Amino acid sequence: MTAPNTAKRTVHLGEAENTLISQLLSAGARGAADELAASGLPTRRIEAYHYTDLKALLGEVPAIAEEAGQVGPPKFRVPGAYRILVANGRIQQSTTPPNGVVVSEAGGSSLTERDDVLVMLNHGLVEKSLAIGLENSVDPIVHIDHRIAGAPAHTAGALRIEVAPGATATVLETFSGSDAAHMGNQGTRVELGDGARFTHIVVDLSALNSRHFHTIEYAVGANVQLRNLLVNSGSALSRTQMFGVFAGEGAHGDFSGLNLVDDGQHNDITLDVNHAVPNTTSQELFKSVVRNRAKAIFQGRIVVSPKAQKTDAKMMMQGLMLSEGAQILSKPELEIFADDVQCGHGSTCGELDAQSMFYMMSRGIAREDAKAMLIRAFVQELLDPIEDEELSEALSGVVEEWLSRPAKSPAI
Amino acid sequence: MSTPMLEIRNLHVRVEDKTILKGVDLVVPKGEVHAIMGRNGSGKSTLSYAIAGRDGYEITDGDILLDGQSIVEMEADERASAGLFLAFQYPIEIPGVATMTFLKAAMNAQRKSRGEEEMKTPEFMKAVRAAAGDLSIETDMLKRALNVGFSGGEKKRAEVLQMALLAPKMCILDETDSGLDIDALKVVSQGVNHLRAPKRSMLVITHYQRLLNHIVPDRVHVFSDGRIVKSGGKELALELEAEGYSAFDEAAA
Ligand SMILES: Nc1ncnc2c1ncn2[C@@H]1O[C@H](COP(=O)(O)OP(=O)(O)O)[C@@H](O)[C@H]1O
Ligand SMILES: [Mg+2]
Repeated sequence: MTAPNTAKRTVHLGEAENTLISQLLSAGARGAADELAASGLPTRRIEAYHYTDLKALLGEVPAIAEEAGQVGPPKFRVPGAYRILVANGRIQQSTTPPNGVVVSEAGGSSLTERDDVLVMLNHGLVEKSLAIGLENSVDPIVHIDHRIAGAPAHTAGALRIEVAPGATATVLETFSGSDAAHMGNQGTRVELGDGARFTHIVVDLSALNSRHFHTIEYAVGANVQLRNLLVNSGSALSRTQMFGVFAGEGAHGDFSGLNLVDDGQHNDITLDVNHAVPNTTSQELFKSVVRNRAKAIFQGRIVVSPKAQKTDAKMMMQGLMLSEGAQILSKPELEIFADDVQCGHGSTCGELDAQSMFYMMSRGIAREDAKAMLIRAFVQELLDPIEDEELSEALSGVVEEWLSRPAKSPAI
Repeated sequence: MSTPMLEIRNLHVRVEDKTILKGVDLVVPKGEVHAIMGRNGSGKSTLSYAIAGRDGYEITDGDILLDGQSIVEMEADERASAGLFLAFQYPIEIPGVATMTFLKAAMNAQRKSRGEEEMKTPEFMKAVRAAAGDLSIETDMLKRALNVGFSGGEKKRAEVLQMALLAPKMCILDETDSGLDIDALKVVSQGVNHLRAPKRSMLVITHYQRLLNHIVPDRVHVFSDGRIVKSGGKELALELEAEGYSAFDEAAA
């Protein structure tokens, strides 16, 4: 716990920080600019960024995105979904929304302000956010197709999803773009009315040389059933941070994620779940598959407030390392202030099981195919709960694409 | 004399710096069933793994020929496609891999590597149903993940099912009788006997003589401390049962 003495200490600012500061100033966010100038980007000394030292890793910050030209077909498509295309932070295309879906725009970021550089940048840079109101149960999946198009660009965007009490809906957010060293900073706030049943799927397929940051907030009402699934297979550097707060009794949340990480990638999933009221339950399941010299990070914290009796929370992290240079870092934390609770966490990390490999090969299945079958099996547990077949198939497609990427020899 | 189905010459195998097989010589002619008997820890499973090509089973000397062709440089999957099958003493549970998916992948992988056409789903389903029926395997069991939650007996029957579907020319059965009650033993033995054919050979590894009442071997080999120490006809199994393995340890020394 090193609280930096921001008042007096002078921080050396690098090129990335200076670019960000001037971008904040151009956007009229003087407060944020001053704050960034005073503290700089977080380094590994800041606990929340210990594994993702933004100062060291961020690299060059591209210019703020201009309006995008015409963009190509989606990389991730669910037939039958209602799709809203957001290119370089602006709605580019949407058709008449299905019954119960209200699309509008609001000023500024949708995120709650908090002491976090990504949130601060989002607040400073987002002019208008997209708001999706789900006023009753919506059958088609609502797909927000985020793109960054053209030359390397820095895009900040925000989304507010409001789900009416008792409504059932699924929102899919995908991130992709042109093959350039983009930087995206997205904020998503999800407000779940009492008794809502909500599924939130987030897929990052950004170009392998881009930087992707996403902050997600869940405000969970009473008796809500929430399921989230995060699938990362893109980006050179990514951090998805989720903050969930249980504010009404009787709710359950399933938080899950899959990091598919290959040579040179650094993907960070950070989760903070706060059981603030009694009688809520959550289950957290996060898996990483890492190949070649790459890094997958999972930080998960579950906080149980003093009055949150009868909380039941189980967090599990599982890692599969496919190469010597692969790194999986996980930090599960429980902070429990109530006494009548059931909470636990576990973390396992290993390689493909040699016995299983031999068994499969002894039946004629070639080594690479046997590996792929075992990786699919490892991942399947996360996809099984997805009831929509077309969505589930599209998610399997992401896994297949990752499996079929040409093998690189690990960089030494 | 025609080429034997399996020929093992002076096989020495090391596992993690420990030499376990110390000069195995064995010839199994086409169409014959041979039994290997030996006490626990004598190296029988090691022999089966070395033949099947498990990683880490280093052959330091000798050779293994399948139908006249050396297989020691081949990967396990290539040996399988060349016609070798090992029924495991302890079949591996693989959560998340559906039994049917696995069976189909295995059959088609072997067909592909032999340049044959892939099997279509209806044809595959028909073959599985027929083979499962012969072994009293409930189709419900095949809907589960591979070997997961199977009882000991179900696992062994599933091994013989795979053997029937893959139609290998050389079958190695490692203690297929262990963990089976007498009824299951009969079903499994019938399944195995059903597969006996002039162009198929078998090596039946067992600890107890009782299996050999059901699968009657052409020859019996006694295994001790990583070697075959005595070979004979099927009556050798009875002799072994009567006198115990220790009588044969002398022969090894
Ligand atoms: N992976 C291994 N590493 C080291 N020693 C092993 C390994 N596997 C088996 N062994 C040893 O090899 C010997 C033979 O084992 P095994 O082939 O399983 O015998 P059997 O099948 O006849 O009971 C035993 O002494 C056993 O402890
Ligand atoms: Mg054994």
